Amino acid sequence: MTVNLLKRLGLNKYNVDKNSHIQVNTDICLTCKDKPCTKVCPAGTYEPSPDGRIIVHYERCLECGAALVACPYGAIKFTFPEGGISYKYG
Amino acid sequence: MSFDADVIIVGGGLAGLSTAITANREGLSTIVLERGEYSGSKNVSGGRMYTHALLQLFPDALERAPLERPVTKETYEVFCDEGKKITFSFEHKTKNSYTILRAKFDQWLAKEAENEGVLISYSTLVTNARREKDYIVVETNRGELKAPLIVDAGGVTSPVSRFLGIKKLEPKTLMLGVKEILDVKPNLPEDEGEARTIMGLIGNLKGGGFVYTNKDTLSVGVTIKVESLYNSNLPSHEIVERFREALGIEGNILEYSAHLIPYYGYDKLSNLYDRNLIVVGDAAGFLINDGFNIRGMDLAIGSGIVAGKALKKIKEMNDYSKTDIYYEMLKESFVLRDLKTALRSFKVLNEEEIFTKYPKILCNTLSKLFTVTSDGKERPINVLITESKNENVNTTKMLSDIMRLFI
Repeated sequence: MTVNLLKRLGLNKYNVDKNSHIQVNTDICLTCKDKPCTKVCPAGTYEPSPDGRIIVHYERCLECGAALVACPYGAIKFTFPEGGISYKYG
Repeated sequence: MSFDADVIIVGGGLAGLSTAITANREGLSTIVLERGEYSGSKNVSGGRMYTHALLQLFPDALERAPLERPVTKETYEVFCDEGKKITFSFEHKTKNSYTILRAKFDQWLAKEAENEGVLISYSTLVTNARREKDYIVVETNRGELKAPLIVDAGGVTSPVSRFLGIKKLEPKTLMLGVKEILDVKPNLPEDEGEARTIMGLIGNLKGGGFVYTNKDTLSVGVTIKVESLYNSNLPSHEIVERFREALGIEGNILEYSAHLIPYYGYDKLSNLYDRNLIVVGDAAGFLINDGFNIRGMDLAIGSGIVAGKALKKIKEMNDYSKTDIYYEMLKESFVLRDLKTALRSFKVLNEEEIFTKYPKILCNTLSKLFTVTSDGKERPINVLITESKNENVNTTKMLSDIMRLFI
């Protein structure tokens, strides 16, 4: 039984800021072939765009911190959000 | 100079709260800054705590704390190709460790701290920190606070240390944990629980998985070296799901969470203290994996207790640069002693072959040893040498690695 990622993320409680807590220099993404940010994030926050840049779905973020170390070129600036995710059970 | 408190603790998890409770009992004025709306709302852990450190803080914790189940059965499972699997189980009716759910447990611990007089400021996000002449200012979404002693208890991403420029996160010293909680009630008596450690079900990724039985739920998760995810063909958000399906566990998912895990080892620890600053718990990189135990929570509480006592000594000296006192006390505690003891095993368990080649060699060797045909039998050591050669592994090194886990 495969559960859609968005359904799984929807189980959590979010208080999303109006402004993204993640900033990406997408010009740098153009030069990055492997796009490790898309591989590392367990919430699908970083999605490759057909134009070679990155689309950021910051409202999905689980605040695990993986993005802090994911980009080898320093294109991602990540700060923890005010509000953000709250876990009920974990 | 007037300060907002003797000590400001950034992070209201296990390490921060243990520091706060101890420092408060030692007579220091203490403020905890917690970015979640309650303690535990941001915390993710596999979910197993060895309770000895908690019992130092609260001797009656086993009766009062919201623990889930005592771990009375330890199971190791190594999955190999072609349906082969090695299983090892050990049962012991003990209360040495419990499964826990941090959203419940940390709230309880925070309430205990508040009842003892600790001030916790929730929904308070530290956005920066800067050093002034002989104190540190923390900038928050509620304004600035200053204190001569700051404790970085902000978890693996150690925010204060990073803001002060004394720590940089590197992927090689971090693992990613991804976890689901399922509404599956374990088929066990209420005073029994199981911890399963599982290898071989996440492809070529460096890491493993776990299943812990809670009172009415299961915690199912994987831990993976961040670097190994870079070359993965499987998106990280599908890994835990594939793992659960491979184990045949079915149930409704109640929660999906993720967290970084520090993986430094005793010889790579740094950033434990600085002028006006003490670092505890995950922020200090305290994690032990020696093959028998994977521990972080008792080290967080233990380092917090040591920190609280050290803070008192530093205040009494009226010299807030003397935070090395914390390090000296830490060396005498179980925290650094156990980390040092575990170093050899930790290094072995950090090697790639452990995840990728050794399980296959052991499975194939055992498969041959348990098979009888008319072709005749080989001596076990010869089977092992052949299987090692097939995987381009030096048999002596493999046996040496396995021995290093015990010696």
